[in-house]
This record gives sequence, C-alpha cells and structure tokens, in this order.
Amino acid sequence: MRRRVLLNVGVPILSLLLVLGVWQLIVVGGHVASYIAPRPRAAITAVTSQWSTLWPLILGTIRETIYGYLLGAVLGFALGVVMAKIPVVQRLVYPVILVSQAVPVIALAPVLVIILGFGIVPKIVIVTWIVFFPVTVNVLDGLGHVDPDLKNLARVYGASRWRTFVQIEVPASTTPLFSGLKIGAIYAVTGAIIGELAASEGNSLALYQEHANSNLNTAAVYGTTIVMTLIGIAWFLLVVGLEVWSTPWQRRSVARRRWRRGADDPTG
Amino acid sequence: MPTTLLELREVGKVFGDTVALAPTSLAIEEGSFVAIVGPSGCGKSTMFNVIAGLLRPDGGEVVLRGATITATTGHVGYMLQKDLLVPWRTVEDNITMATRLTRRVTDEDRAEARRVARQYGLGEFLRHYPSALSGGMRQRVAFMRTLVTHQQLLLLDEPFGALDAQTRLEMQEWLLRVWKDTGRTVLFITHDVDESIFLSDRIVVMSPRPGRVVADLANPLPRPRGIHTLLEPEFIALKARVLGLLHGGDL
Ligand SMILES: Nc1ncnc2c1ncn2[C@@H]1O[C@H](COP(=O)(O)OP(=O)(O)O)[C@@H](O)[C@H]1O
Ligand SMILES: [Mg+2]
Repeated sequence: MRRRVLLNVGVPILSLLLVLGVWQLIVVGGHVASYIAPRPRAAITAVTSQWSTLWPLILGTIRETIYGYLLGAVLGFALGVVMAKIPVVQRLVYPVILVSQAVPVIALAPVLVIILGFGIVPKIVIVTWIVFFPVTVNVLDGLGHVDPDLKNLARVYGASRWRTFVQIEVPASTTPLFSGLKIGAIYAVTGAIIGELAASEGNSLALYQEHANSNLNTAAVYGTTIVMTLIGIAWFLLVVGLEVWSTPWQRRSVARRRWRRGADDPTG
Repeated sequence: MPTTLLELREVGKVFGDTVALAPTSLAIEEGSFVAIVGPSGCGKSTMFNVIAGLLRPDGGEVVLRGATITATTGHVGYMLQKDLLVPWRTVEDNITMATRLTRRVTDEDRAEARRVARQYGLGEFLRHYPSALSGGMRQRVAFMRTLVTHQQLLLLDEPFGALDAQTRLEMQEWLLRVWKDTGRTVLFITHDVDESIFLSDRIVVMSPRPGRVVADLANPLPRPRGIHTLLEPEFIALKARVLGLLHGGDL
C-alpha cells in the first residue's frame, strides 16, 4: 500500500522535478539569455510576486474550464448514448461531429465572438466543443462493447430497457467513459486559453501572458505557462481521483463497509 | 401423479439454412432434474433460448404451468457457462442482481441473499468482488443469483463446462444439495455424459443436424449420490447406452 502510494505520487513528482532540473541545466550551462528562457526560479517568482493580480485571472480560467468541461462531459455522454441507441442518429451525426473536430478551434473563436460577444460564454463553448468529442467517442465505443450475453441475461430476468441501461450498460462502460473524460480534462484548459486569446477584451490569463510577452517579460511568460499547465494537471488529477473513487472494484478485492446495512445482519 | 411444469409443443428454430432445432416436443415434471446431452451445435442452447423467451420459435408453443409463454421473458432462471457476474458489484449485490433489474432491492432481498450465500458456502465472500473468486466460487454465486429469482424452472446451460474435473465434481454434489433443499425444477445442458447421469432423474439425448431428441431415458440411480455412484453397474450401463446413442450405434 505504502509502496503503491510512493510509486503513484512520488515518481511523477520526481519526474517533474527532473524536468525543472534539466531546464535549469540548459539555461545555466548553455548560457541562455534570460529574455529567451529564464531560470525556473525566476519564472516562479514572476508568478508569486504578481499573485494578487494573477489570482482573479486564474479563477476566471478555472471557471471557464469547469463550466465548459461539465457541459462538454454531459453533452458528450448524452450524445454517445443517443448515438449508441439509435443507429440512424449515429449515421447522421457521426460525420458532423468529425467535421466539428476538424475545424481548427482557433479559427472558430472569432466566429463565436461575433455570435456570442466577449463574455465567458464563447470560452465555455470552445471548451465544451473540445471536451465533448473524446467523451462521445468513448461512450459510443463502451456501450457498443457490452457483453450481449449479459444483456440477454437481463432480458431473461424481465428487465426493462431503462434498468438494463442503468444497471448493466453504463457501469460496464466506465473504463472507456473515464478515458474520454481524462482526455477531455487535459484539453479543457487549452480550450479555455484559446477562448481567452481570441475572445477577451478585458482581463484574462491568456491576455496577461500576451502582455508580458510584448513587454519582453520572459519570466512572466514562462510563469504563466506553468500556471496554465498546473490548472490542466489539477483538473486531470481530479478526474482521475473521481475514477479511483467510483471504481473501487478495480483495485480492491473486498468492498469497504457500506453505510446501509440490513437490520438483521448479525455480522454487522 | 406429478404435475407437468413445462411443455414444449412442436417447437423448432431455423437460422437461414441451418435447422438449429427440429420441431421438438418435451414435457418436464415439476421438481425433476432433467439433463440434456448432445454434441456441440445440436441446438441445445437454441432450445434454452426459446424457453427463456430470447428467441421466437418458428413454430410451436412453450407452455409453463398451462399458460403460453412463447417468446416472452421473465419466467425462468437462466445460467450459462460464462458466469456473467458483474465486476462492479460485490458477491451479495451480484446475487440480488436479478431483483435490481426489475425493481428496487429491499433489505429483505439482501437478507435472503446473505442467508442463501451463508448456507451454501459463500458466507465469507459476501463483500468480495467477483475478481477475487475462483471459477467454482463464481459459478456458485451465479447459481445463487439464479436461485433468488424465485423462478421454479432453472435453465442451466453447461454451467460447469469451464471448470477442472475436481472442481466440477464438487460443484455437482453442491448443486444436488441445493436442488434437494430448494425443490426447484432443473433443466441441465451438458456434453459430459458422466455429469448428465450423475445429476439427473432423466436424460434427454439429442442428435446433430438437424437437432432433435433421439432418446428420453429414465435414470434409475438412487439418491443421494456421491463418488460411489460413478462406479455402480447401473451407472456404467446407462453410460454405455447414452454413448451408444451419441455415437450412432454400438460401442
Ligand atoms: N443466432 C444464430 N444465428 C445463426 N445460427 C445460429 C445462431 N445460434 C445458433 N446457431 C446455429 O444453430 C446451431 C445450434 O446451435 P446451439 O443451439 O448453440 O448448439 P449447442 O448449444 O447444442 O452447441 C449451430 O449450428 C449454430 O451455429
Ligand atoms: Mg450451447
């Protein structure tokens, strides 16, 4: 158990520290000018020294990411279900969602600004646009691969389609569902930043970085990038946490004691 | 005079050019244990799928307690060689799975699941996930799940086909014990002649192409049965008879 925690938490932290170390080595050892690449410490200081300015912007990016992600996840799941259940819809909609993903999102942003203005909405739409696709594809795949014998067994028991769906098909698809959700989680922040770049008139993390760039404040550019990355990783880890929490059978051989016990159970 | 529980009346099924099951009639008495033996592909599973209501037969009728149930589900218990336990539920929750698929599971349902599990050697595994169990244990759970459906008629399609010989014998004795306690009616498909004789009151022998019943033999071996049964002269005689039927001629 302790060994596993060490492997799962320690090793990733170590590998990230290694990246910082290599960065430091290249910048110092290669005599790279600080306007091209700052030392890691300078990049981090650029963030911490401006924290009071940055924090509201970070919150804004997080908000766009969360709203867009949740919307994309729900929409992606619903679309996957409808497509899996109604073959005609699948045939009609699949090409459309493929095309939707082939459109470069950056090119889409100005169009969204024209339609939706400069508020939070176009950013949410972009995040949703990016997130729904891996979710839909994976849900579709998962529902399509549920063991037909299991579905037949449910029929023999006299199960309704709805109960078969909830009790068998959805839980049987959790692994692909979470694959989609994890891919979406990693891309969600990218979507929010693209949205901020193309559709912000006031303050945003992306514009802050652009501003730093035009002021040749390279340390702040790198620092902001690190912040954006951390938001993405945090969101990803949250989804991984949700997966671990909701699929105990993949790691445990015995279930945890549950809160609801039968009144007559002598073993407690 | 025992009552007839299930009746097949001229039930047949064709898939494209394949006659999976020639029109077949069969009557099963309540409380009996009937084995169905036949080579692979002779339509045994097709017959079960028709009885279970998964397949609509091309003709004929399936009658349970005098009422037609042709092509309707929800009237029988059904179990396959694949245990079909769901990995995301504990043993206890797998046993109540059939209930959960039709209505809300109550505390009484859970209590019953725990009771039968304890009674038949699964008590210590109630909170285990299926992945932690051996093949034999998994089949026991699958059978318990079938049992708590409270269906009188249980269709078991080669349930022990994937188990090793030792475990299979244990499972057969275990099944006979549960069957005796619960008074259910069992239709048991197997291609293992020993198994069919060891378990049954009656052996229905089927032939391939087209699948049809070629013999319907009473099994006179006394109960309770055990390892010793396998060595009795009646056992050997019956085995010779069934093997002869399956291989088309004398041994
Ligand atoms: N859904 C199906 N579609 C087409 N052919 C089938 C189908 N199910 C079974 N068959 C064919 O019907 C025959 C009997 O199959 P089955 O009842 O599974 O045999 P058994 O269980 O005795 O091994 C086989 O030839 C099989 O290939
Ligand atoms: Mg079969």
